[in-house]
Amino acid sequence: MTIFFVVAVTTLFSALLMFQHFRRTHGRLVSATGKNLHLNRGPSRRARAGRSAGIVAKRTDSINAPDSCSSPPGTRCASHARSAAPCAGRARRTAFRNDGDRDRPESRRAGTARWHADARVPPPDEHLPGTLQSLPFAVLLFDSRGHVSFANPVAEKLFGYSQGEFIGTSSNVLVPGLQDQLQFHAASPSLGVRIKSTASTQDRVARRRDGTELPVEITINSMSSGVERCAIVVVVDRSERCELQRNRQQLAHLTRVSTLGELAGSLAHELNQPLTAILSNAQAAQRFMAARPINLVEVQEILHDLVEDNRRASEVIRKIRALAKKGELEAVPLSIASVIEDVALLVHSDAIIRGIRVSLNIAPGLPAVRGDKVQLQQVVLNLLLNAFDALECRPAQDRVVVVKATHDGKGSTCIAVSDRGRGVADDMFDELFAPFVTSKRDGLGLGLSISRSIVDMHGGRIWAENNRDQGATFHVTLPAAATREGACTREQP
Amino acid sequence: MNEPAPIVFVVDDDDSVRRALTRLIRSAGYCVECFASAREFLESHFHAWSTACLVLDVGLPQLDGLELQHELNARNRALPIVFITGRGDIAMTVSAMKAGAVDFLAKPVSDTDLLRAIGNALAHASQAFASRIELDSIHGRLARLTPREREVLALLVEGRPNKQVAFQLGIAEKTIKVHRARVMDKLEARSLIDLVRITDKAVIPHLSGDARSH
Repeated sequence: MTIFFVVAVTTLFSALLMFQHFRRTHGRLVSATGKNLHLNRGPSRRARAGRSAGIVAKRTDSINAPDSCSSPPGTRCASHARSAAPCAGRARRTAFRNDGDRDRPESRRAGTARWHADARVPPPDEHLPGTLQSLPFAVLLFDSRGHVSFANPVAEKLFGYSQGEFIGTSSNVLVPGLQDQLQFHAASPSLGVRIKSTASTQDRVARRRDGTELPVEITINSMSSGVERCAIVVVVDRSERCELQRNRQQLAHLTRVSTLGELAGSLAHELNQPLTAILSNAQAAQRFMAARPINLVEVQEILHDLVEDNRRASEVIRKIRALAKKGELEAVPLSIASVIEDVALLVHSDAIIRGIRVSLNIAPGLPAVRGDKVQLQQVVLNLLLNAFDALECRPAQDRVVVVKATHDGKGSTCIAVSDRGRGVADDMFDELFAPFVTSKRDGLGLGLSISRSIVDMHGGRIWAENNRDQGATFHVTLPAAATREGACTREQP
Repeated sequence: MNEPAPIVFVVDDDDSVRRALTRLIRSAGYCVECFASAREFLESHFHAWSTACLVLDVGLPQLDGLELQHELNARNRALPIVFITGRGDIAMTVSAMKAGAVDFLAKPVSDTDLLRAIGNALAHASQAFASRIELDSIHGRLARLTPREREVLALLVEGRPNKQVAFQLGIAEKTIKVHRARVMDKLEARSLIDLVRITDKAVIPHLSGDARSH
């Protein structure tokens, strides 16, 4: 039984390491734990009696490697193989220590004492706690009723509970809504130890003992050994990552607001136009009403226009507010045409002041793109204003910016913003999208860098190239809503 | 001098502003014709109207309001302009006024300001029209003079007596008297002072290059 669990824990451990490795290498989540790491059959009784821990560790490798490489192709497999090596070493050490423990019954008792004193389900194995204790991330074991039967020190630190307080705490108290996600597969004594990763990794909010909340990523695995059933839940603190994301959003918001500040004059003009129309219409109406006979047709038309102009003014305000708002990212299917048209409206009078003509060329029937409208507007706004800047000091006939939106037939939407300026210097291409790189006198150098991070989050691509004749074109491709994977927000299960 | 009804031209690229301004000006009893761009206006028969003024938005795409003003001046087809703008600055205002604008108003513009400015502009236009008519008539009268009569006229308006004119032109004083009588008759002048006034009007506009009277 001991060896079964060493194998089981090692497998779990390597799975978790892989998961960690993926988090580090890919930045965003790829569900490494989404596939089953399933030991069909534990080693036989003979193996348990005779084999040394070292042999077991080797066996772990041989079981583990082909299993983890079986389904994902290419690079993923390579990552697994890399992470398998340290696992083996760690497993070997664990095994030896466990063997050493065998000679010290006191310490074993101390270990088992950490299990719930009157748990109806007995501890799955006396060595499992020792192994889980040493893991560098929070691990909680829940019994079949969803109560904590074990928590490792990292979990104690993360949640602020002492071991004694932890035992028997309901899963919903620690992570609201967790209870429904815990799955216990049917006990099947004949199959020996089974660890099954049943659910994908989820983003949740955990609650500490003092009531404060923190964002976490949890992975739930169910485990059974004979009639014992429990769920192993690995909890990873995501506060830092959330903080990072929040900082990035704040930066994006700041640049958006500063861009709006630069556009303030133009935006005021966009508001002033409907106000002008409203005032003149209203005063015309007063005059028509004073005349005899009253020209009712004229007055009716005026009232209609008043309503329209009022709507137009509110629309401008709504668009400014939308860009200035400091909201959470939302991923919804949206029309790229409307994203571009909204931005074109905001820069309309800026273009007139600068003597620039903006020509929109939007293909009909573009597929919906899944993403955050404000952020995508920010990208288009950046590209348009950059194009405007590029046309400074150009002769009148060159003062044209063309915005094209097309689809490539493979589901992606392409936006191209072309100017007829001086183009991008050859040595600038590499660092064009790096932060704090700018060719403008008073530029911050954040526009393109933020644009790139936004496009990245949407699973798209952004790049620049010089036109054959004159100027430069910035391209953005965005995957269509239906085909997009792994973008800025993950679906909650 | 039978002056036709005045007309107000409105040039603004914003549909709803253009419509509202047109309505407001029409509500004051003027004939209005509107255009969405400076080009459209230049291509129209705006110059066929004798008394007209232009309500012009500064911020027009492509050819803007100030450029249109210069273009009209350059074509010698100037008409009184009331500028309206959403974002005027001092430099812009000075430049427009120097080039002969009647007024420079900020959007949103109140009806009293706009209609007063239009009234002034049309008064300018009508005055310009009247002086143009008069000038045309003076030119017609001057055209009737013979070369010798012109020479006599030129010296007379300098204030020279007949004797000096006769001496300078090398002809008899008696003949000068005949020429002088003919000049007075042809130019419909009742006195020497009248003669000076008429020749002044005919010459000064050309010398000063006042584009408003062509």
